[in-house]
Parts: sequence; C-alpha cells; structure tokens
Amino acid sequence: MASRKKDNLDSRKLWDEDPNRIPLQKSRKRALVVNTIVLFGFAVIFLRLVDLMVIDHKMLSSRAERQYSRQEKLQSHRGVIWDRKMREMAASVDSSSLYAVPSKISDTRNLARKLAPVIKTTSKQLNMTLVNKKDKDFIWLARKMNVSTVEEVSSVRDGLGLGRKELGFISESSRYYPKRQTAAHVIGFSNIDNKGIAGIELYYNEYLQGRQEKVSYNTDAKGNRLSDELKEGIPGHNIILTIDEGIQYIVERELSDAMQQWNASAAIAVMMNPWTGEILAMANRPTYDPNLANNSRAQDRRNRALTDLYEPGSTLKAMLAASALEEKLYDPSDKFDVSQGYIEVGGKRIRDIHKFDILTFTEVFKRSSNVGSVQIGLKLGAKDYHSYLKKFGFGSKTGIDFPGEVSGIFRDLKRWSGTSLAALSIGQEIGVTPLQILRAYSAIANGGALVKPYLVSDIISADGQVIKSVRPEIERQVISRETARETTEILKTVVEEGGTAMRADIHGNLVAGKTGTAQIFDSKTGQYSKDKFVSSFVGFVPADDPLLALIVVVYEPDGRGYGGVVAAPVFRKIVENTFTYLDVPMERDENQILLVSQ
Amino acid sequence: MIDRRLINNFDWSIFLIMMTLSVISVFTIYSATRPLLDDVQKIYYMKQFYWILLSLFAFIVLISIDYKWYARYAYLIYAVGIILLIAVVIAGKKGMGAQRWLHLGFFSFQPSEFFKIFFILALSRYFSGMRQGESIGFRQLFKMLLIFFIFPAVLILRQPDLGTMLILMFLFISMTLTAGLQKKVVITIVIAGMIAVPLAGNYVWKGLKGYQKHRIIAFIDPQADPQGIGYHITQSKITVGSGGFFGKGYMKGTQGPYRFLPENHTDFIFSIYAEERGFMGSLLLFFLYFFVIWRGFDTAKKARDREGCYMALGVTYMVAFYFLINVGMTLGMVPVVGVPLPLMSYGGTALLSNFIALSIIENVSMRRYAPYY
Repeated sequence: MASRKKDNLDSRKLWDEDPNRIPLQKSRKRALVVNTIVLFGFAVIFLRLVDLMVIDHKMLSSRAERQYSRQEKLQSHRGVIWDRKMREMAASVDSSSLYAVPSKISDTRNLARKLAPVIKTTSKQLNMTLVNKKDKDFIWLARKMNVSTVEEVSSVRDGLGLGRKELGFISESSRYYPKRQTAAHVIGFSNIDNKGIAGIELYYNEYLQGRQEKVSYNTDAKGNRLSDELKEGIPGHNIILTIDEGIQYIVERELSDAMQQWNASAAIAVMMNPWTGEILAMANRPTYDPNLANNSRAQDRRNRALTDLYEPGSTLKAMLAASALEEKLYDPSDKFDVSQGYIEVGGKRIRDIHKFDILTFTEVFKRSSNVGSVQIGLKLGAKDYHSYLKKFGFGSKTGIDFPGEVSGIFRDLKRWSGTSLAALSIGQEIGVTPLQILRAYSAIANGGALVKPYLVSDIISADGQVIKSVRPEIERQVISRETARETTEILKTVVEEGGTAMRADIHGNLVAGKTGTAQIFDSKTGQYSKDKFVSSFVGFVPADDPLLALIVVVYEPDGRGYGGVVAAPVFRKIVENTFTYLDVPMERDENQILLVSQ
Repeated sequence: MIDRRLINNFDWSIFLIMMTLSVISVFTIYSATRPLLDDVQKIYYMKQFYWILLSLFAFIVLISIDYKWYARYAYLIYAVGIILLIAVVIAGKKGMGAQRWLHLGFFSFQPSEFFKIFFILALSRYFSGMRQGESIGFRQLFKMLLIFFIFPAVLILRQPDLGTMLILMFLFISMTLTAGLQKKVVITIVIAGMIAVPLAGNYVWKGLKGYQKHRIIAFIDPQADPQGIGYHITQSKITVGSGGFFGKGYMKGTQGPYRFLPENHTDFIFSIYAEERGFMGSLLLFFLYFFVIWRGFDTAKKARDREGCYMALGVTYMVAFYFLINVGMTLGMVPVVGVPLPLMSYGGTALLSNFIALSIIENVSMRRYAPYY
C-alpha cells in the first residue's frame, strides 16, 4: 500500500476521471449470457443429483452391496454323541487346513516341489494349481490335515522363507469316532463339510450340526476379505444314545466270533429294553470304520437290523401261540396228533424235521413242530392271525429314530393264497426286519405292550440345557398280560432239556426265546435255496422279569444252520457277558440249573 | 496503514466458505484413504492440511496487494507462465503417464495449475484496454487466439493435460463473449462451426490420444468398457447413488476404501463425499459452491474498474467450470477428463492455485467502489 500515492492508477482518480475504465453496461449484459449458461449447468447438476441419489438410490445401493458383500457359511462345532453312560462315541476335534495365497507366491515351482510330497499330491499338479489361480488371494491346498502333516508343512514353509501371507493354516472342525467300529452302523458318519451322511449323524443332523449360519463379509475390489478371522457358528447339540458301549462291544465281539466260526456272510444282533424300547446294542457284520467311511463299501455300512428283510421262520410261531391263547382256542396242555410227520394244505405238504407222536400245545412250540403249528394256524383262521400279526407290528415300520428303516413285506389279507395261512403259521411268506421280531417278542416279555424302539434318549445343547428328552412310548396293547405270561412259559421251555435252543440257556437265569431257521429265498431262481439259511434266535432274559430282549440273526452259516445251533450260543454268550458286565445276580440256585453246553 | 475500507469490504462469506470446503476436504480425504485391515492410514490428509496452511498464508499475502499491480504486470506474469510451460516440456517430471510436474529440488509443482490464473490476468488486462463501445473484430480475435490460446493450449496438450486445456478454452470463449464480439464475427463463427465440426471431427478424433478416445467411448457407453474407464464412471455413479438421502455416515462409505472407485481422493472425491453424506450433504456442498460463484459475479458487478471486473469474472468462471466439469464427470454426465474439484480434491498445487484464484475475487471485492468513501 506504500506506493499508493505515487501510483497514477489510483482508484479514486481513475473512477472519476476516466469513464473508459468504468465497467461497461454492455459487457454486463453479455456477462449475463454466460452467467445464465453457468446457472443452467448448476440446475442440471442438481437434477442429476436427485436422479442418482434419490430416484436410483435403491438400485445403485444394491449394486454397491453386491460388489463388496460376500456370503459364507460359518462352520459350526458338531455336537458330541455319547453312549448312555456318557462315553464319547463321536466327537469333533479341531484340525488344520492349509491355504495358499497364489498372488503372493512368486516361485511356485520351487514351492510345489517341496510341498507336494507332504500334502500327498504331485508337484506338477500343485504348480499348475498355483499358476492357474495366480490372481486369487485364497485357495485351499489341503483340508483337515493331521498334526504331523501340519508340522511338516510348517517346516517346508519356514525353509522357503515364506510366512502367513503366502501359506497359512485355518482351524476347521472335523469328526472323529474314537470307538472306531463299535456301533459304527448306529452312529453313522458325517462328511468333510460336517454334514451327517448316515445313521444317527444323518437322522439328527439338524440337532448335531448346529447353526452353520450364513454371514456376510466384505471384500475389497480385488476380492480380499476385509475381516480378520473366520468366526464360528453356533455349536450343535450333543446327543445321548440309549446304546451302552460296554454291551455294544460284547455284542460286536460275539458277532465277529460267530462270523468266523460259521463262515457266515452277515450277522445282526439287537438288544433292547423290552419295557421301554431303548436299544442297548445294535450291531452288524460286516462292518466298517466310520473314520475311514470313504474307503468302505456301501454294503458294509448298511444297518441290516432295520434295512434287511428275512423270513423269520419258527421265531414267528411265538406270535401264533400268543394269538391262539389270546383267542382262548387252546389250553397249554391241549394235545395234538402230529404222528403223520406232515400236513397237507392246498396240495402242499409241510413237514416236521423230527418225527413226533402226540405233542401238547406247549410242546408244539418247544419242539417247533411245523405240523402242530399249521394245525393251530388253521384253527385260528386267516383273519384273526392276520390281525394279530398286524398288531404285533409286522408290515409297518417300528418308528425307530434312524434313517432308512423298511416296513417289511406282509401281504394284505385279500392277497393271501390258499397256502398263505399255513405258510405264515411256520413263519414263511413274510419279510421282517430283526428289529420287528425283537419288538414283537418284547411285547410278550413286558406283558403285551408294543413299544416303540429308540436310539437317542436325550439331546442336550452345548451349554447344558436339555433340548429334548425322549420318553418311552407304548403303541398299543397287543395281547393281555395273562396271554403274555402263558406265552412266556411256553418260550421258557424252548431252552429246557429237549427244547430247540438248549444252547441259549443262560447260566443262572431263565431264558424265554425261540429259534428260527429259514431258507433264503433266492430271487434268481424263484425258489428257496437248498443250502443257504438264515439262522436266528430271539428271546428275553430273565424270562419272568426281563432285563433285556435280544435277537441274533446269522446269514448263511456253514452247515445246516439251525437257529438252535448257530444263533442260540451267540445269544447265550452275549447275555452272559452282558449280565456280568451289568453285575446281574443269579436268579436260580446253582444245582437247579439245567446247564446245557456244546 | 491498512485502509478501513479494505476491512469493511472484506467478503467474509467467500473466505469462510473457502475454509469450510478445505476442512471438509481434509476429512473426506481421511475417510477415502482410510486403511483396510492392518495397513496404516496414509498421510494424504495431513499433506492436504499443510497445503491449506501454506495456501492460507499465500491468500493473506496476495489480498494485501492491490490487484492493479497484477493488472500492470499481467503480461509479464503471462510470459513467465509460458516459459514455465515450455520448461515442463523440456525438463518436466513424469507422473502417472503425463509430464506435468516441474521439479525444483525441494518441491514439485504443476505450472499449468498456476498458468490458468496468469491467463485470466492477461486476458483481463487485454479486455480492459478496449475502448468504450468497442467490439472485437476478426483481426483482433485471430491475434488473441494466437497469443492467448493456441500457443499455451499446444504446450498444455503436449503434457498432456486435456482437462486444463478445456478449462482454458472455456475461459477464453466465455471471457471473449463477455468482452464483446462483433455481430458478424459471432455469426461467422456459428456458421463456420456448423460446417467445420462434422468435417474436422474426424481429424480431431485421430489427433486424440488412445486413452482420451477411450474416455469418450466409455462416456457414451460405459458398458462397452466395463473394466476400464467405463468401470470408473459406473463405480462413481454407484458410489454417489448408494449414498441415498442421508448418506452412509462419515467413515462408513465403502466404495473408496474398498478400492472399487479409483482416484477416490483426487478427481472423484465428490463421489466419496456424496456416499457418506448423502443427498442432503451434497446439496450443502452444491450450495456452498453456488454461493461462491454468486459472490464472484456480484464482486465483478460491483468492481471498481474493468480490470477488477474481468479478473473476478474470469476467476468465477474458472471455479464454476471446474465444479461443473468435475461433478458432471462423477455423475457420469461429462467424459472423464481428469479435472479436480476446487478446494476438495487432494493435491497441493491445485489447492494453492484455488486459494490464489479466490484471493483475486476477495482482492477485487475489498477494493470495490464505495460511494460513502
């Protein structure tokens, strides 16, 4: 400002003296034209802002979200499966999975060469994967590795001077079956994504799996994940089985022995509490290790106790006896003339294996006389017998909490042929599962009530709350308490001297049970096989106040394969060991025991 | 020594809006460049802050000098500007594919940023020298075109800096129009333009650089090039649009930090701001700029003399064109030409240049004619 006075351009002077320097009126008007254009520009911007930010907001907003938002299923910790005494049958353990960040790895060939043998792949293949996914920031290299592999990978990584930015581990939950084969068919298994595939794992998947919640996370434009760690979902519930691992182990061991002894093709045993329907053991041979389920054959994984049908043969005669007694057609002491050795029904001869003269009602069953049974069946009549068998649960699923149960083959009364009644009297023309037979026998054991079998007693959440507690269910009363008692008396004689299953007699405890031998129906030839049998024994112990009901079925044993010879000893050994295991006291005095051994 | 009139006529609104926008700029840059995961915050916002302090100092120094001195030395200043532009061509530093920077040992700057102001000063000087009632004829226009436009435009296009060249072109046209063209000149230009543009279009198109052609194609059809420059336009629209009415909230914008929108703290800072502050916040910004421009026009109208009038008008047009082109670009209405948003975009030279530009309006406003004096 110091120079103002000297300046000949002094504003006041200029303004007054030089009209040339006054801003022109004309130029103001021209300026207005340009100013209007500028204002118009502002108006357009304003409208465009309304357009994008108010009118198109929703559309553009969702486009933005689609760009940065990704969804992911969170892994949840799968619930534990315990046996009835809280022993772990299936558990989830954390194991490490290996990932790579291909975009950060420069020397893929060297890495592939060193890493490939550790994670069991070829270096060529690994290198190809890394090169092909060069622009990716995350790929899995190996899932759920064991501890030693993790250590080896770590040392390879350190050796190459790589860090977490190039190769890293993420902890994932994986399934582990500590008891391996034991109860494999019951428990089933789950896959690498923690989803139940078979057995209880499948049936109760919803409970066990927990909530594999979907969460969304944000990524940047390159697809990099913008949250630090993988969170975990809500853990699954734990399950308590009715199975007792101790008993299960005994059962499995005896089945293995029987398989070997008789060179059988398959064997099944199911043990149930006849009062409640709790399954105490359920075992199958052949078997598999659920830890290595992928390497096993499908037929080895089948829970045959529920999925396979067989002809029950003589074991069904107990139902015949119960029906006839319930209808009060006979007294246990009524006599039957079976001296002919066969009976003709509809032009078909049904024979006895041994020749008898006169048998009482009780003895017909004790000796398993086919001729006597057919006589009783004919007297009972198709309608009543059909109705009783139906009431005993044949032809319908037991409703056990297990996937894949079949209802069996039990023809409608209308479709019975002239020989059907006779055939069914000796346990033919019907397809049953071992579990169906066991349930029917349990009805006799418990005084006539048909129970619903079940495998899971409680479901408990991870924080200890009871989610579901199963109470025993009785479906219906099939026969009266009195009839059940009388039938039990008859079944007790089976294991006595002269009965068909003396080999089933349990040291110190009375057994009520029945043998069964059926020829295997060969669907190829349409005939009963001459040399292939299914040998079974079903019963309950102690007979008058049973603790357990058990069925043993052995497929295709060598030799004649009579139930009394093959299945009954297995039954006896299982029950004896189980009673020892359960510490059950002897019921009878030692000297009263009719000890039968091979 | 300080004249009371200078204080009385100080236009506080321009100054306060300038400072407000600068502060908003620092915060917006902070949010746009905020780190992902464990990266550390980039220091852009701090640099911008230091540049604001420096620019403020320049502002205060410049308004204390009467603008008549700028007018007196306008041609000299203009010549220096041209020399700087030539220096860039000869000894410029390359950055991001263009040679725009001049390196002076301790700091670098873009001469073309300052040249715009020198350009306005020179044109203002020239126009204010015209006699009362005189209009620009053909000969004069050609002379002006050569000295004030073609020469610098060629130098700037060589860098290349299409954005600045366009601003110079708009400034030249608007200021010449305001100064007054003869009717026959206007008519001839309009007719010639209608004939020449279709004919010359092909040559102009061929003369454009590859990326410049690209930008125009992408502007016409963003889907034609969804990963390149069309991606840029699409992402900017998504960014602005997802702000909605009230915005996502400060530091809650995703498009910038997630790196969907490139150049988010420079040319596309408006999109980031709009995403976080929404339509309401954008309107606020809109009216702040609008107010500055209105104050600029008003200052020009009330200027003491023709120099002041043209200077204020020129600077106001410049700010207005910058705003319209930049925001138009972020809203997908104008091709992407790489023009920053005055006072908001990150960049020291541009910020200083904008403070200087506004200091000129303030300068003219302070020294306007006051009848009571």
